[in-house]
Amino acid sequence: MIAKLHLVIALIASVYLYYSDTSRISKTNYLSSSKIQQQTALQKSKANGKDIYTDFCMQCHMANGKGDGLNFPPLDGSDWLKKKRSQSIHVVKYGQAGEIIVNSKKFNAIMPAPVGLSNQEIADVLNYVMNSWSNKNKNIVTADQVALVKP
Amino acid sequence: MKKINLIALTFIVLSCQAQVKPNDIFIQDEIIKYTFETVADGIPVPWGMAFLPDNSMLVTEKSGVLYHIKNGVKTEVKNVPAVYNRGQGGLLDIVLHPDYAQNGWIYISYSSTEGEGQGGNTKLIRTKLLNGGLTQIESLYKCEPNTTKGQHFGSRIVFDKGGYLYFSAGERGNHFVNPQDITRDNGKIYRLNDDGSIPKDNPFVGQPNAKEAIYTYGNRNPQGLVLNPYTGTIWEHEHGPQGGDEINIVKKGANYGWPVVTYGIDYDNTIISNEQQKPGIEDPIYYWLPSIAPSGMLFVTSDKYPDWKGNLLVGSLKFQYLELVKLDGDKIIGRQKIGTGIGRLRNVAQGPDGYIYIGVEGKGILKIIPN
Repeated sequence: MIAKLHLVIALIASVYLYYSDTSRISKTNYLSSSKIQQQTALQKSKANGKDIYTDFCMQCHMANGKGDGLNFPPLDGSDWLKKKRSQSIHVVKYGQAGEIIVNSKKFNAIMPAPVGLSNQEIADVLNYVMNSWSNKNKNIVTADQVALVKP
Repeated sequence: MKKINLIALTFIVLSCQAQVKPNDIFIQDEIIKYTFETVADGIPVPWGMAFLPDNSMLVTEKSGVLYHIKNGVKTEVKNVPAVYNRGQGGLLDIVLHPDYAQNGWIYISYSSTEGEGQGGNTKLIRTKLLNGGLTQIESLYKCEPNTTKGQHFGSRIVFDKGGYLYFSAGERGNHFVNPQDITRDNGKIYRLNDDGSIPKDNPFVGQPNAKEAIYTYGNRNPQGLVLNPYTGTIWEHEHGPQGGDEINIVKKGANYGWPVVTYGIDYDNTIISNEQQKPGIEDPIYYWLPSIAPSGMLFVTSDKYPDWKGNLLVGSLKFQYLELVKLDGDKIIGRQKIGTGIGRLRNVAQGPDGYIYIGVEGKGILKIIPN
Protein backbone atom coordinates (compact mmCIF):
# COMPACT_ATOMS: atom_id res chain seq x y z
CA MET A 1 0.00 0.00 0.00
CA ILE A 2 2.65 2.49 1.08
CA ALA A 3 4.93 1.34 -1.73
CA LYS A 4 2.13 2.00 -4.23
CA LEU A 5 1.54 5.41 -2.76
CA HIS A 6 5.24 6.18 -3.10
CA LEU A 7 5.14 5.12 -6.72
CA VAL A 8 2.18 7.39 -7.44
CA ILE A 9 3.84 10.33 -5.67
CA ALA A 10 7.07 9.61 -7.48
CA LEU A 11 5.33 9.52 -10.86
CA ILE A 12 3.57 12.80 -10.24
CA ALA A 13 6.78 14.34 -8.97
CA SER A 14 8.82 13.10 -11.92
CA VAL A 15 6.34 14.55 -14.40
CA TYR A 16 6.39 17.82 -12.48
CA LEU A 17 10.17 17.89 -12.28
CA TYR A 18 10.48 17.05 -15.98
CA TYR A 19 8.36 20.02 -17.00
CA SER A 20 9.61 22.39 -14.30
CA ASP A 21 13.24 21.85 -15.33
CA THR A 22 13.64 25.10 -17.24
CA SER A 23 17.08 24.18 -18.54
CA ARG A 24 15.32 21.89 -21.02
CA ILE A 25 13.59 24.78 -22.72
CA SER A 26 16.25 27.06 -24.11
CA LYS A 27 14.39 30.34 -24.36
CA THR A 28 17.64 32.29 -24.52
CA ASN A 29 17.99 31.53 -28.24
CA TYR A 30 15.24 33.98 -29.00
CA LEU A 31 16.44 36.80 -26.75
CA SER A 32 18.47 39.84 -27.70
CA SER A 33 22.13 39.95 -26.64
CA SER A 34 21.51 42.53 -23.86
CA LYS A 35 18.80 40.30 -22.44
CA ILE A 36 21.17 37.35 -22.53
CA GLN A 37 23.74 39.39 -20.64
CA GLN A 38 21.20 40.38 -18.02
CA GLN A 39 20.04 36.83 -17.63
CA THR A 40 23.59 35.65 -17.30
CA ALA A 41 24.22 38.24 -14.58
CA LEU A 42 21.03 37.12 -12.87
CA GLN A 43 21.98 33.45 -13.12
CA LYS A 44 25.42 34.17 -11.72
CA SER A 45 24.01 36.20 -8.85
CA LYS A 46 21.39 33.52 -8.18
CA ALA A 47 24.07 30.82 -8.05
CA ASN A 48 26.09 32.82 -5.50
CA GLY A 49 22.89 33.53 -3.61
CA LYS A 50 22.16 29.84 -3.19
CA ASP A 51 25.24 29.43 -0.98
CA ILE A 52 24.25 32.45 1.10
CA TYR A 53 20.72 31.07 1.42
CA THR A 54 22.02 27.71 2.62
CA ASP A 55 24.27 29.41 5.15
CA PHE A 56 22.03 32.12 6.53
CA CYS A 57 18.37 31.57 5.67
CA MET A 58 17.56 27.89 5.21
CA GLN A 59 17.40 26.99 8.91
CA CYS A 60 14.19 28.99 9.31
CA HIS A 61 12.78 29.45 5.82
CA MET A 62 13.63 25.85 4.86
CA ALA A 63 15.15 24.46 1.66
CA ASN A 64 11.78 24.60 -0.11
CA GLY A 65 11.23 28.25 0.86
CA LYS A 66 8.01 27.43 2.65
CA GLY A 67 9.05 28.51 6.16
CA ASP A 68 7.34 26.77 9.06
CA GLY A 69 3.89 28.33 8.70
CA LEU A 70 4.08 29.55 12.29
CA ASN A 71 7.01 31.83 13.04
CA PHE A 72 8.82 31.96 9.73
CA PRO A 73 6.86 33.14 6.70
CA PRO A 74 7.11 31.47 3.31
CA LEU A 75 9.33 32.95 0.62
CA ASP A 76 7.97 30.69 -2.09
CA GLY A 77 4.88 32.37 -3.51
CA SER A 78 5.11 35.20 -0.97
CA ASP A 79 2.98 38.23 -1.95
CA TRP A 80 5.03 40.34 0.48
CA LEU A 81 8.27 39.53 -1.35
CA LYS A 82 6.64 40.16 -4.71
CA LYS A 83 5.02 43.51 -3.88
CA LYS A 84 7.57 45.01 -1.50
CA ARG A 85 10.89 45.11 -3.25
CA SER A 86 12.65 47.81 -1.23
CA GLN A 87 11.22 46.44 2.03
CA SER A 88 12.53 43.00 1.05
CA ILE A 89 16.00 44.46 0.63
CA HIS A 90 15.55 46.30 3.93
CA VAL A 91 14.64 43.09 5.79
CA VAL A 92 17.71 41.23 4.59
CA LYS A 93 19.94 44.22 5.27
CA TYR A 94 18.62 45.32 8.66
CA GLY A 95 16.37 42.54 9.95
CA GLN A 96 12.70 42.37 10.83
CA ALA A 97 10.69 42.60 14.05
CA GLY A 98 6.99 43.01 14.62
CA GLU A 99 3.90 41.82 12.84
CA ILE A 100 3.82 41.35 9.08
CA ILE A 101 1.16 39.77 6.90
CA VAL A 102 2.26 37.30 4.25
CA ASN A 103 -0.35 35.67 2.01
CA SER A 104 -3.09 36.83 4.41
CA LYS A 105 -1.43 35.18 7.40
CA LYS A 106 0.06 37.06 10.36
CA PHE A 107 3.67 36.43 11.35
CA ASN A 108 5.39 37.99 14.31
CA ALA A 109 8.93 36.79 14.89
CA ILE A 110 12.38 38.31 14.76
CA MET A 111 14.62 37.95 11.76
CA PRO A 112 18.12 38.57 13.11
CA ALA A 113 20.07 41.03 10.96
CA PRO A 114 22.35 42.60 10.01
CA VAL A 115 24.21 39.35 9.73
CA GLY A 116 27.35 40.76 8.17
CA LEU A 117 26.45 40.30 4.50
CA SER A 118 27.92 42.66 1.89
CA ASN A 119 25.58 44.57 -0.45
CA GLN A 120 26.50 42.16 -3.24
CA GLU A 121 25.72 39.13 -1.04
CA ILE A 122 22.35 40.67 -0.11
CA ALA A 123 21.59 41.20 -3.80
CA ASP A 124 22.67 37.63 -4.59
CA VAL A 125 20.50 36.00 -1.93
CA LEU A 126 17.50 38.09 -2.97
CA ASN A 127 18.01 37.12 -6.61
CA TYR A 128 18.13 33.50 -5.50
CA VAL A 129 14.97 33.80 -3.40
CA MET A 130 13.10 35.80 -6.06
CA ASN A 131 13.93 33.21 -8.72
CA SER A 132 13.58 29.92 -6.87
CA TRP A 133 10.73 27.47 -6.34
CA SER A 134 7.68 29.06 -7.99
CA ASN A 135 9.14 32.58 -7.79
CA LYS A 136 10.21 34.44 -10.90
CA ASN A 137 11.52 37.97 -11.13
CA LYS A 138 13.75 38.90 -14.07
CA ASN A 139 14.32 42.39 -12.66
CA ILE A 140 17.72 41.79 -11.05
CA VAL A 141 18.57 43.22 -7.62
CA THR A 142 21.98 44.91 -7.73
CA ALA A 143 24.48 45.84 -5.03
CA ASP A 144 23.91 49.50 -5.92
CA GLN A 145 20.20 49.16 -5.23
CA VAL A 146 20.99 47.53 -1.89
CA ALA A 147 23.40 50.38 -1.06
CA LEU A 148 20.58 52.90 -1.54
CA VAL A 149 18.37 51.26 1.08
CA LYS A 150 19.00 53.00 4.40
CA PRO A 151 17.85 52.10 7.93
CA MET B 1 14.58 9.72 -13.82
CA LYS B 2 11.52 8.06 -12.32
CA LYS B 3 13.66 5.59 -10.42
CA ILE B 4 15.76 8.35 -8.98
CA ASN B 5 12.66 10.21 -7.90
CA LEU B 6 11.20 7.11 -6.30
CA ILE B 7 14.35 6.65 -4.25
CA ALA B 8 14.49 10.36 -3.38
CA LEU B 9 10.86 10.41 -2.37
CA THR B 10 11.16 7.28 -0.32
CA PHE B 11 13.96 8.98 1.57
CA ILE B 12 11.92 12.13 2.06
CA VAL B 13 8.90 10.17 3.31
CA LEU B 14 11.09 8.06 5.59
CA SER B 15 12.88 11.13 6.87
CA CYS B 16 9.56 12.83 7.66
CA GLN B 17 8.56 9.74 9.59
CA ALA B 18 11.89 9.89 11.41
CA GLN B 19 10.91 13.34 12.69
CA VAL B 20 8.51 11.77 15.18
CA LYS B 21 10.21 10.72 18.39
CA PRO B 22 8.97 7.48 19.88
CA ASN B 23 7.98 7.52 23.56
CA ASP B 24 8.94 11.14 24.02
CA ILE B 25 8.38 12.94 27.29
CA PHE B 26 5.40 15.19 26.72
CA ILE B 27 6.00 18.91 27.30
CA GLN B 28 3.45 20.28 29.76
CA ASP B 29 1.83 23.67 29.42
CA GLU B 30 2.87 26.48 31.61
CA ILE B 31 1.59 26.87 35.18
CA ILE B 32 2.07 30.57 35.81
CA LYS B 33 3.27 31.30 39.33
CA TYR B 34 5.59 34.19 38.52
CA THR B 35 5.90 37.49 36.69
CA PHE B 36 8.59 38.79 34.34
CA GLU B 37 10.19 42.10 35.18
CA THR B 38 12.32 43.94 32.62
CA VAL B 39 15.78 44.65 34.02
CA ALA B 40 17.24 46.13 30.82
CA ASP B 41 15.61 46.62 27.43
CA GLY B 42 16.79 47.51 23.94
CA ILE B 43 19.34 44.70 23.63
CA PRO B 44 18.86 43.00 20.22
CA VAL B 45 20.70 39.73 21.00
CA PRO B 46 21.66 39.38 24.69
CA TRP B 47 24.05 36.47 24.22
CA GLY B 48 26.10 36.05 27.40
CA MET B 49 25.43 37.13 30.97
CA ALA B 50 27.74 37.31 33.99
CA PHE B 51 26.99 38.65 37.46
CA LEU B 52 29.48 40.80 39.33
CA PRO B 53 29.64 40.42 43.13
CA ASP B 54 27.45 43.55 43.57
CA ASN B 55 24.65 41.80 41.57
CA SER B 56 25.19 44.16 38.63
CA MET B 57 25.68 42.27 35.39
CA LEU B 58 27.76 42.19 32.25
CA VAL B 59 25.77 41.34 29.13
CA THR B 60 27.23 40.72 25.68
CA GLU B 61 25.27 41.88 22.66
CA LYS B 62 26.07 39.81 19.62
CA SER B 63 26.99 42.67 17.27
CA GLY B 64 29.92 43.55 19.55
CA VAL B 65 28.65 45.67 22.45
CA LEU B 66 29.32 44.76 26.08
CA TYR B 67 26.88 46.30 28.56
CA HIS B 68 27.35 46.81 32.27
CA ILE B 69 23.87 46.86 33.78
CA LYS B 70 23.53 48.31 37.25
CA ASN B 71 20.28 49.35 38.93
CA GLY B 72 18.47 49.13 35.59
CA VAL B 73 20.92 51.43 33.81
CA LYS B 74 22.99 50.01 30.99
CA THR B 75 26.38 51.46 30.15
CA GLU B 76 28.61 50.41 27.23
CA VAL B 77 31.92 48.96 28.37
CA LYS B 78 34.85 50.43 26.42
CA ASN B 79 37.73 48.73 24.61
CA VAL B 80 35.81 45.61 23.56
CA PRO B 81 37.76 43.73 20.85
CA ALA B 82 36.41 43.99 17.28
CA VAL B 83 34.17 41.01 16.50
CA TYR B 84 33.42 39.25 13.23
CA ASN B 85 29.67 39.86 13.25
CA ARG B 86 28.46 37.49 10.59
CA GLY B 87 25.63 34.96 10.75
CA GLN B 88 25.66 33.38 14.18
CA GLY B 89 29.05 34.89 15.02
CA GLY B 90 29.77 38.00 17.08
CA LEU B 91 30.34 38.77 20.74
CA LEU B 92 29.31 35.56 22.48
CA ASP B 93 29.72 34.27 26.03
CA ILE B 94 31.07 35.92 29.16
CA VAL B 95 32.02 34.22 32.45
CA LEU B 96 33.83 35.31 35.61
CA HIS B 97 36.74 33.36 37.07
CA PRO B 98 35.53 31.32 40.10
CA ASP B 99 37.98 33.39 42.14
CA TYR B 100 36.98 36.69 40.51
CA ALA B 101 36.84 38.55 43.82
CA GLN B 102 40.59 37.92 44.23
CA ASN B 103 41.94 38.03 40.66
CA GLY B 104 39.39 40.02 38.60
CA TRP B 105 39.62 37.82 35.49
CA ILE B 106 36.72 37.84 33.03
CA TYR B 107 36.55 35.31 30.18
CA ILE B 108 34.92 36.19 26.85
CA SER B 109 34.36 34.20 23.65
CA TYR B 110 33.71 35.85 20.30
CA SER B 111 34.27 35.38 16.61
CA SER B 112 37.47 36.94 15.37
CA THR B 113 39.09 37.53 11.98
CA GLU B 114 42.57 37.00 13.43
CA GLY B 115 44.78 34.34 11.92
CA GLU B 116 44.75 32.21 8.83
CA GLY B 117 42.16 32.54 6.06
CA GLN B 118 39.32 34.87 5.09
CA GLY B 119 36.36 35.12 7.44
CA GLY B 120 36.42 34.36 11.14
CA ASN B 121 36.39 31.74 13.86
CA THR B 122 35.79 31.38 17.60
CA LYS B 123 38.28 32.98 19.96
CA LEU B 124 38.64 32.95 23.76
CA ILE B 125 40.23 35.78 25.74
CA ARG B 126 40.55 36.81 29.35
CA THR B 127 40.51 40.40 30.49
CA LYS B 128 39.84 42.69 33.44
CA LEU B 129 37.29 45.47 33.91
CA LEU B 130 38.81 48.78 35.00
CA ASN B 131 37.16 52.23 34.99
CA GLY B 132 34.41 51.10 32.60
CA GLY B 133 36.72 49.52 30.04
CA LEU B 134 38.41 46.20 29.32
CA THR B 135 42.09 46.07 30.12
CA GLN B 136 44.90 43.47 30.22
CA ILE B 137 43.36 41.49 27.35
CA GLU B 138 45.07 38.09 26.92
CA SER B 139 44.42 35.72 24.00
CA LEU B 140 43.87 32.20 25.29
CA TYR B 141 42.71 30.27 22.21
CA LYS B 142 41.77 30.93 18.61
CA CYS B 143 40.15 28.28 16.39
CA GLU B 144 41.66 27.91 12.92
CA PRO B 145 41.20 28.29 10.02
CA ASN B 146 38.79 31.18 9.41
CA THR B 147 35.80 30.76 7.14
CA THR B 148 33.09 33.08 5.81
CA LYS B 149 30.38 30.53 6.70
CA GLY B 150 27.69 31.97 8.94
CA GLN B 151 27.06 28.94 11.11
CA HIS B 152 28.13 27.30 14.29
CA PHE B 153 30.61 29.24 16.36
CA GLY B 154 29.38 27.78 19.69
CA SER B 155 30.25 29.16 22.13
CA ARG B 156 29.79 28.79 25.86
CA ILE B 157 32.35 28.92 28.66
CA VAL B 158 32.25 27.23 32.09
CA PHE B 159 34.60 26.37 34.95
CA ASP B 160 34.45 23.07 36.80
CA LYS B 161 35.07 22.53 40.50
CA GLY B 162 38.75 21.81 39.85
CA GLY B 163 39.26 25.24 38.26
CA TYR B 164 39.55 23.97 34.68
CA LEU B 165 37.94 26.06 31.97
CA TYR B 166 35.78 24.46 29.28
CA PHE B 167 34.55 26.22 26.16
CA SER B 168 32.76 25.06 23.05
CA ALA B 169 33.26 25.83 19.37
CA GLY B 170 30.73 24.70 16.75
CA GLU B 171 31.77 22.99 13.53
CA ARG B 172 31.50 26.18 11.40
CA GLY B 173 29.17 24.65 8.82
CA ASN B 174 31.77 22.09 7.75
CA HIS B 175 30.40 18.91 9.27
CA PHE B 176 32.07 16.33 7.07
CA VAL B 177 35.52 17.81 7.75
CA ASN B 178 35.79 19.22 11.27
CA PRO B 179 33.93 17.42 14.08
CA GLN B 180 35.47 13.94 13.82
CA ASP B 181 39.05 15.13 13.22
CA ILE B 182 41.03 15.86 16.39
CA THR B 183 43.80 17.50 14.35
CA ARG B 184 41.30 20.23 13.43
CA ASP B 185 39.45 22.83 15.45
CA ASN B 186 35.65 23.15 15.53
CA GLY B 187 32.92 20.74 16.50
CA LYS B 188 34.70 20.40 19.86
CA ILE B 189 34.63 21.17 23.55
CA TYR B 190 38.00 22.33 24.82
CA ARG B 191 39.55 22.21 28.28
CA LEU B 192 42.19 24.69 29.40
CA ASN B 193 43.83 25.88 32.59
CA ASP B 194 42.62 29.30 33.68
CA ASP B 195 45.66 30.98 32.06
CA GLY B 196 44.99 29.30 28.70
CA SER B 197 47.70 26.65 29.02
CA ILE B 198 46.79 23.08 28.16
CA PRO B 199 46.36 20.62 31.05
CA LYS B 200 48.92 17.79 30.73
CA ASP B 201 46.24 15.16 31.24
CA ASN B 202 44.00 16.38 28.43
CA PRO B 203 42.87 13.31 26.45
CA PHE B 204 44.73 13.96 23.18
CA VAL B 205 48.00 15.33 24.54
CA GLY B 206 50.92 13.72 22.71
CA GLN B 207 48.87 12.39 19.79
CA PRO B 208 50.31 13.30 16.36
CA ASN B 209 49.12 16.72 15.17
CA ALA B 210 46.26 16.72 17.66
CA LYS B 211 44.82 19.99 18.88
CA GLU B 212 45.70 19.19 22.47
CA ALA B 213 43.17 21.58 23.98
CA ILE B 214 40.36 19.30 22.73
CA TYR B 215 38.43 17.55 25.50
CA THR B 216 35.51 16.11 23.47
CA TYR B 217 34.77 15.89 19.75
CA GLY B 218 31.92 15.08 17.38
CA ASN B 219 29.92 18.05 18.70
CA ARG B 220 27.82 20.11 16.31
CA ASN B 221 27.04 23.48 17.84
CA PRO B 222 27.01 23.60 21.64
CA GLN B 223 25.35 26.72 23.03
CA GLY B 224 24.78 25.39 26.52
CA LEU B 225 27.60 24.40 28.88
CA VAL B 226 27.17 24.26 32.66
CA LEU B 227 28.49 22.68 35.81
CA ASN B 228 26.08 20.25 37.44
CA PRO B 229 26.52 21.47 41.02
CA TYR B 230 25.11 18.23 42.41
CA THR B 231 27.50 15.82 40.67
CA GLY B 232 30.41 18.07 39.66
CA THR B 233 30.13 16.95 36.01
CA ILE B 234 29.86 19.30 33.04
CA TRP B 235 26.64 19.18 31.04
CA GLU B 236 26.19 20.54 27.56
CA HIS B 237 23.45 20.87 25.01
CA GLU B 238 23.91 21.35 21.31
CA HIS B 239 21.88 22.22 18.25
CA GLY B 240 21.16 19.26 16.01
CA PRO B 241 20.23 19.80 12.38
CA GLN B 242 16.49 19.41 11.67
CA GLY B 243 15.76 17.35 14.77
CA GLY B 244 18.28 15.85 17.14
CA ASP B 245 19.21 18.65 19.53
CA GLU B 246 21.02 16.87 22.36
CA ILE B 247 21.79 17.02 26.07
CA ASN B 248 25.12 15.33 26.84
CA ILE B 249 27.27 14.81 29.89
CA VAL B 250 30.80 15.89 29.01
CA LYS B 251 33.28 13.03 29.38
CA LYS B 252 37.02 13.17 28.80
CA GLY B 253 37.97 12.22 25.23
CA ALA B 254 34.42 11.24 24.29
CA ASN B 255 33.01 11.33 20.77
CA TYR B 256 29.45 12.69 20.57
CA GLY B 257 29.02 11.39 17.06
CA TRP B 258 28.27 14.31 14.75
CA PRO B 259 27.85 13.65 11.80
CA VAL B 260 28.45 9.89 12.01
CA VAL B 261 25.29 9.41 14.03
CA THR B 262 22.42 11.84 14.56
CA TYR B 263 18.76 11.86 15.53
CA GLY B 264 18.13 14.61 12.98
CA ILE B 265 18.13 15.18 9.22
CA ASP B 266 19.43 18.04 7.10
CA TYR B 267 17.41 21.21 6.42
CA ASP B 268 16.69 20.09 2.87
CA ASN B 269 15.37 16.78 4.29
CA THR B 270 18.38 14.78 3.10
CA ILE B 271 19.75 12.06 5.34
CA ILE B 272 23.01 12.89 7.09
CA SER B 273 23.30 9.50 8.75
CA ASN B 274 20.94 6.56 9.00
CA GLU B 275 22.48 5.59 12.31
CA GLN B 276 21.53 7.01 15.67
CA GLN B 277 23.84 4.94 17.84
CA LYS B 278 27.21 3.32 17.41
CA PRO B 279 29.77 1.65 19.67
CA GLY B 280 32.38 4.16 20.82
CA ILE B 281 29.99 7.07 20.44
CA GLU B 282 28.27 8.64 23.44
CA ASP B 283 24.51 8.58 23.23
CA PRO B 284 22.84 11.78 24.44
CA ILE B 285 20.97 11.54 27.75
CA TYR B 286 18.11 13.31 25.98
CA TYR B 287 17.39 14.53 22.47
CA TRP B 288 14.74 16.90 21.17
CA LEU B 289 12.74 15.99 18.11
CA PRO B 290 11.64 18.33 16.59
CA SER B 291 14.49 20.68 17.44
CA ILE B 292 13.82 23.44 19.98
CA ALA B 293 17.07 25.26 19.04
CA PRO B 294 18.51 25.31 22.56
CA SER B 295 20.58 28.22 23.83
CA GLY B 296 21.55 28.89 27.44
CA MET B 297 21.41 26.36 30.24
CA LEU B 298 21.10 26.52 34.02
CA PHE B 299 20.91 24.16 36.97
CA VAL B 300 18.53 25.85 39.39
CA THR B 301 19.93 25.86 42.93
CA SER B 302 17.95 28.80 44.31
CA ASP B 303 15.33 28.30 47.05
CA LYS B 304 13.20 31.02 45.45
CA TYR B 305 11.86 28.47 42.95
CA PRO B 306 11.03 25.33 44.96
CA ASP B 307 9.31 23.64 41.97
CA TRP B 308 12.35 24.17 39.78
CA LYS B 309 15.21 23.61 42.23
CA GLY B 310 17.53 20.78 41.25
CA ASN B 311 16.24 20.82 37.68
CA LEU B 312 17.53 22.21 34.45
CA LEU B 313 16.39 25.27 32.48
CA VAL B 314 17.07 25.53 28.74
CA GLY B 315 16.20 28.42 26.42
CA SER B 316 14.43 27.70 23.14
CA LEU B 317 15.17 30.06 20.28
CA LYS B 318 12.77 28.31 17.97
CA PHE B 319 9.70 27.90 20.16
CA GLN B 320 10.36 31.08 22.13
CA TYR B 321 10.02 29.75 25.66
CA LEU B 322 12.12 28.59 28.55
CA GLU B 323 11.99 24.84 29.01
CA LEU B 324 12.10 23.30 32.48
CA VAL B 325 13.75 19.90 32.14
CA LYS B 326 12.89 17.87 35.22
CA LEU B 327 15.57 15.48 36.43
CA ASP B 328 15.90 12.39 38.52
CA GLY B 329 19.68 12.21 38.82
CA ASP B 330 20.97 12.07 35.25
CA LYS B 331 17.60 10.99 33.87
CA ILE B 332 15.09 13.37 32.25
CA ILE B 333 11.64 12.68 33.67
CA GLY B 334 9.57 15.73 32.71
CA ARG B 335 9.36 18.87 30.63
CA GLN B 336 7.42 22.07 31.07
CA LYS B 337 7.07 25.42 29.30
CA ILE B 338 7.86 28.70 31.03
CA GLY B 339 7.24 32.13 29.46
CA THR B 340 5.31 30.78 26.49
CA GLY B 341 5.86 32.95 23.42
CA ILE B 342 8.14 35.36 25.24
CA GLY B 343 10.59 35.63 22.32
CA ARG B 344 13.75 33.94 21.09
CA LEU B 345 15.23 32.83 24.40
CA ARG B 346 19.00 33.18 24.14
CA ASN B 347 20.27 32.75 27.67
CA VAL B 348 19.33 31.91 31.25
CA ALA B 349 21.31 32.52 34.45
CA GLN B 350 20.89 32.65 38.22
CA GLY B 351 22.08 35.79 39.98
CA PRO B 352 23.87 36.01 43.34
CA ASP B 353 20.51 37.28 44.67
CA GLY B 354 18.97 33.88 43.89
CA TYR B 355 16.73 35.21 41.11
CA ILE B 356 16.69 33.75 37.62
CA TYR B 357 17.34 36.08 34.70
CA ILE B 358 16.68 35.42 31.03
CA GLY B 359 18.07 37.04 27.89
CA VAL B 360 15.39 37.44 25.21
CA GLU B 361 16.23 38.57 21.68
CA GLY B 362 14.69 41.89 20.66
CA LYS B 363 13.92 42.62 24.31
CA GLY B 364 16.79 42.40 26.75
CA ILE B 365 17.15 40.97 30.24
CA LEU B 366 14.09 39.89 32.23
CA LYS B 367 13.91 38.75 35.85
CA ILE B 368 11.56 35.96 36.86
CA ILE B 369 9.81 36.88 40.12
CA PRO B 370 7.83 34.10 41.84
CA ASN B 371 4.41 35.14 43.19
